[in-house]
Amino acid sequence: MSTIEELRETYGALLHTLKSALDKGDEPAFLEQLDNLVNVRERSLCTELRKLTRDLQNSLERFSLDSRLIDLAEKEVPDARQRLDHVLKLTDEAAHKTMDLVEQSGPLAERTAKEAADLNVMWRRFRAREIAVSDFRIMLERMDAFLEAAQGDTETVRRNLAEVLLTQGYQDLTGQIIRGVMKLVTELEGTLVELVRLSTGTTVKETPAETKKSQGYGPAVPGVDHGVIVNGQQDVDALLSGLGM
Amino acid sequence: MKFLVVDDFSTMRRIIKNLLNDLGYQDVTEADDGATALPMLQAGNFDFLITDWNMPGMPGLDLLKAVRADAKLAKMPVLMLTAEAKREQIVEAAQAGVNGYVIKPFTAVTLKEKIDKILDARK
Repeated sequence: MSTIEELRETYGALLHTLKSALDKGDEPAFLEQLDNLVNVRERSLCTELRKLTRDLQNSLERFSLDSRLIDLAEKEVPDARQRLDHVLKLTDEAAHKTMDLVEQSGPLAERTAKEAADLNVMWRRFRAREIAVSDFRIMLERMDAFLEAAQGDTETVRRNLAEVLLTQGYQDLTGQIIRGVMKLVTELEGTLVELVRLSTGTTVKETPAETKKSQGYGPAVPGVDHGVIVNGQQDVDALLSGLGM
Repeated sequence: MKFLVVDDFSTMRRIIKNLLNDLGYQDVTEADDGATALPMLQAGNFDFLITDWNMPGMPGLDLLKAVRADAKLAKMPVLMLTAEAKREQIVEAAQAGVNGYVIKPFTAVTLKEKIDKILDARK
C-alpha cells in the first residue's frame, strides 16, 4: 500500500464527516470530528517518536559497546599477549633454574655416594681385621677428606633444594597473570555476545562481574602496567621506612 | 609460635610452609582466602599471620582490615606476602596496619628478615 493510500484510509472517512458537519453548520459535530482527527495524528506521531527513541537507544548502546570493543582490540588484547609472553618467560626461567640446580646437585650426591661406598669396603676389611697397615693409613686419610667434603656437599645440596622449592613460586605468579587474561577473554566474549544481541535482538544481556579495587591487580608485567610500580624488595623497604615503618 | 598462611595458590602455601619449617617454625596452618582465614583466626590461637593480597573471595587487604577491626585479633602481627607492586597499594596496606610487606618473587633470607624484624619489634 502506498503512503497516500494509507493516509486516505486513515483520514478519508474522518475528513468526510468533518466536511459534512461543516457544510451542515453542525458546530458540536465538527469540533468532535476535529478532536478525533488530532487524536489520530498524535497517536501516529507518538508511535514514530517511540520508534526513534528505541533506535537512538540501540545506537547509543551499540556505540558504547563499539568503543569498549575498540579499547579491547587496540589495548587490552595486545596487553594480554604481552602478559602471556611474560608467563612464557617466567616458566622458562623457572624450569631452567630448577634444572640448573638439579644438575648442580646430582654430581655432589653422586660423589658422596661413591666415596661412601669405597670407604665402606675398606671399613669392612678393617672391621674383619683384614686390612694392611698401609691401607689403614690410606683409609684414615680418605675418611678425613670424605667427612670434610660430605659436610660441604650436602650443605650445598640442601641449599639447592631450598632454592628449587622457592623457584616453584612461578606457579603462583603465572597463575595470577593467566587468571587476568581469562577475565579479559570472558569480557571480550560478553561484549561480542551483546553485539550479536543488538544486531539480532535475541540473546540475553550478560554483564561481566566487576572487580573490587581491594582485590588487587596481580603481578606487575613489564610494558603493561602503567601505575607507579616498585622495583623489588629494596623499593618496598625504602617506601615503608619513609612511612615510618 | 603458631602461623596462619593465607594464599589461594597451594604451591605458594607449600613454599611458605617449608620455609617456615626451615626457620624452625613447625606449627603452620593454611587457608586459601580471607573468608576462610578469618573464622580460623577468631577460633584458633594464632600468633602470626602471613597473607597474600590478590585472592578470590576475601582479598588480603580486606582480611587485614577485618583483623585490625576485631578487638581480639587487632594486635596480631601481619606480614603481607604478595605480587602487588603498586606504590599506592603498599601505602594502603601500611595505612591499614600491616607489619611487613614482602614482594613476590622473594627469597628465604627476605622472609626470615621480615619475620625477625616484626617479632623483635614486639619484644
